[in-house]
Amino acid sequence: MRRSLRLALPLAAVLAVVMVAAGCGSKSSSSNSSSNSNSNSSSNSAASASKSYDNGSAAKGGVYRVGWEQSFGFTNNFDPTGEYLGNAWGIYVNLLLRPLIGYKHQPGAAGNQLIGDLAQSVPQPTDNGLTYTYKLRTGVKFAPPVNRAVTSKDVAWAMNRLANPKDGGQYSFYYTVIKGWDDVANGKAKTISGISTPDNQTIVFHLTKPTGDFNLRMSMPATAPIPQEVGSCFEGKPGDYGRNVISSGPYMIQGSAGTFSSCSALKPFSGFDGANGNHLIVVRNPNYDQKTDPYRKNYPNQFEYRVNSNADDIYAKVQAGQLEDEQSSPQPKTIRQYVTDPNLKDRLLPNVGDRTWYLTMNLTQPPFDDIHVRKAMNYIINKEALRKAWGGPVLGSIATHIAPPVMYNNGLSEYDPYSTPNESGDVAKASDQIKQSKYDPGKTGKCTMSQCKSVLMVADTRALDNRMVPVIQANAAKIGITFKVRSINGAYTTIQTTNKNIPFSERPGWGKDYADPYTFFGELFDSRALIPSGNTNYSLVGITPQINTQKKLGVTGNLNNIPSVNSDIDKCIVKTGQPRINCWEGVDKKLMTQVVPWVPYLWSNNVTIVGPKVTHWNYDQFSDGTAYSQVSVKQ
Amino acid sequence: MTNPPEFQVTSGGAVALQPVAVQRKSPSRLFWDRFRQDKAALIGGVVIGLLIFIAIFGGPIASNISGHPQNATYDNMTDEFGVPKGPNSEFWFGADSAGRDLFVRTMYGARTSLFVGIVASGLALFIGTVVGLIAGFFGGFLDTMLSRSADVLLALPQILLAVGVVAACSTTKEGCLGGLIQPGLTVVIAVITLFSWSYIARIVRGYTLSLREKEFVESARAAGAGTGRILSTEILPNLIGPLIVYATLLIPTNILFEAALSYLGLGVPPDQASWGAILNDASGYYDVAWWLMLFPGAFLILTTLAFNLLGDGLRDAFDVRSER
Repeated sequence: MRRSLRLALPLAAVLAVVMVAAGCGSKSSSSNSSSNSNSNSSSNSAASASKSYDNGSAAKGGVYRVGWEQSFGFTNNFDPTGEYLGNAWGIYVNLLLRPLIGYKHQPGAAGNQLIGDLAQSVPQPTDNGLTYTYKLRTGVKFAPPVNRAVTSKDVAWAMNRLANPKDGGQYSFYYTVIKGWDDVANGKAKTISGISTPDNQTIVFHLTKPTGDFNLRMSMPATAPIPQEVGSCFEGKPGDYGRNVISSGPYMIQGSAGTFSSCSALKPFSGFDGANGNHLIVVRNPNYDQKTDPYRKNYPNQFEYRVNSNADDIYAKVQAGQLEDEQSSPQPKTIRQYVTDPNLKDRLLPNVGDRTWYLTMNLTQPPFDDIHVRKAMNYIINKEALRKAWGGPVLGSIATHIAPPVMYNNGLSEYDPYSTPNESGDVAKASDQIKQSKYDPGKTGKCTMSQCKSVLMVADTRALDNRMVPVIQANAAKIGITFKVRSINGAYTTIQTTNKNIPFSERPGWGKDYADPYTFFGELFDSRALIPSGNTNYSLVGITPQINTQKKLGVTGNLNNIPSVNSDIDKCIVKTGQPRINCWEGVDKKLMTQVVPWVPYLWSNNVTIVGPKVTHWNYDQFSDGTAYSQVSVKQ
Repeated sequence: MTNPPEFQVTSGGAVALQPVAVQRKSPSRLFWDRFRQDKAALIGGVVIGLLIFIAIFGGPIASNISGHPQNATYDNMTDEFGVPKGPNSEFWFGADSAGRDLFVRTMYGARTSLFVGIVASGLALFIGTVVGLIAGFFGGFLDTMLSRSADVLLALPQILLAVGVVAACSTTKEGCLGGLIQPGLTVVIAVITLFSWSYIARIVRGYTLSLREKEFVESARAAGAGTGRILSTEILPNLIGPLIVYATLLIPTNILFEAALSYLGLGVPPDQASWGAILNDASGYYDVAWWLMLFPGAFLILTTLAFNLLGDGLRDAFDVRSER
């Protein structure tokens, strides 16, 4: 009996204390005032948000400290062959790795423009688009313990590692156009026949078909050189190389030292304690030659990334100057604080994220197997309210189609096939669509059939999801659709498993891999890429009964007459330049009007808050995050 | 100074005892006489009555008075950054982070909290009583097996395991055990029950061990009563009093258990109001939206306190050995 009292009363007391504390809580006061200046601040259009930061002159030295919320969340333990986390890419391409092709580490369109990084220049294809020849810069050297010049064979070796499924490549599908790739992937060959290295400074790629974005594909971190002597220590051990990444860039993981002698003598570098650890520290690479690198500035002496489970603490430390930067998601209250406080607002840095957030509807599951219901959802959802749930206009612009306009060089920026007043939903237009659907036989303007009641919605458990779900429920109820919500921590796993047949989810978002719309359409809508688990074509666009059987997808539902865009994708992929962009725009429009798999609602900004000691900050459009190679901090 | 009327002093100074009528009191009358002296317990009982009324009717009444359905969102109740706005004449408790009426949500939250608390406690009571009776009455291997199982459960880190079980059962739309336990309220109730019955089982076992040796049980056995009859008519009735007491103390514990799970984001779905879930929502706004923590927190404390006061009063009233 007393046990219950001992348990219950103290818990109640704790709640009481928390309650009192809540009443006593106060807003943070502003910190140091500064004479900041924005270069290119956007006042009200989040779509064009592009903001950098200057607070004094940039100078070499100092430590740039970053608070990382919750956990690193690396997808392959920071092993570049398979690492698919955008935040990791930002560290790789700014600080540690030099792929053949790179970027200027700037915001906006300029930041998506290709440059030669390890390569001297961006090559034009020859042989009718089937051959790409890259000439390497001289003077680029690996960090300790390798301490030698980077050669074309190191690039070829990295590509071989990427092709070998045992080594954990997570986006190797981009490179299957290289001749002989599949032979290595299938274990029939040890090296890729379509890659040759006539000398140490030249590497040639032979493709099976013209691929207009091949140079873009060669900008991804997995293609950066890996020294064979070290890389071979990790064959068949995906992820393990993450603690021994050998730098070819201006910085290296702390603890990289000495001279490589053997695999057994190679110990994990001390600067990174693993994907489940709490720190990643990078220091200058003594073998780096700035003359080989026209775009990286490399001001700080050291970068420190430390995991902190408390987002409030991270922002408090950033505000107090104990951190320079954060890898976290500011809560609405934090956004409000920075927007409204004149002493802080210059340190709030929203930039276009090349990312679409959307509600996904499964084309095989009722009531979303009816295009009119899907169109009605596009009309009824109050996108403005969803954006507010994220934190308001600072967090991005309202999405009106699949890929953000920046992917089309600002094409389709006015395209809005489901326009409603203030993007707040339109009951009349939505009801009109419902009347045309099979789920409203009485033409009432509301979905009256049982298939529209208690439709399963899979949501995540973040605070953001708890703010979004009620909005979606309230909106859908206006056209007679009610949801049964399943809140799942890590909802992606569930919606990525095809045999779970999830009709609707509010969780998904998708960002580009590189600056080409193919990175949206290829993975999200090509039915040939459907897989039973880890599937990203949540709407099952293009699925057929045959595909369902062949790939053992386990989908049960209406599989007949699901629209496909496979042939449209095939047409676009071989094009280059403006015709390619126009082609992708056509696919986007087709998806939005003839397929309607999503309700896109937000093209999100990447919002960064920097500390008072930061003297220069810029955005890296490629990695959608801080351009670490451009930042500087007071010592 | 006068003597009590039953003592009469004779002229010789002797005291003569006069027969007085002794008023017989039923056990329930005895219980009530003792219980009603405990004002705190009475207040607890009244508050619980009110809370039950709120749980059943409070949500709809609040919706009706305010004109705000439970899950309706109001754009004007969040600012341009999505931060909820505080109490006003229309939204008495302010709004939650989705712009819903917190007054209505808090009233509906009472339903979730009490439902979970009462149902989970009822199930735990049933399971614990059955297990405790069997273990205590039969003894031997059955006792060892059941008692050790209960001990194992008591030794486990309950919140940690509950988080694991709830999370595991929520990863599929089918739930656990072939759909028997659905994500949401049912899995929360199942988990709370799982970790609550062992307390009751231990207590019931102890009582049963003592009761089975009593004369009235021996007498029943001598009269030819079977095991089932002895358990149901001789032992179980003697457990009712303690079980009521333990139930009233288990309910607030389980209400807090549900609140803790919901606070961790593992309780009821977001469209279903729960005090713990509202407090979870408040955790991101505690410094800018005090009302989110104040109102559900106050109700939670009030409920816990009321049940505990009632439970203490019941225990004292049932226990004739206790001193007031």
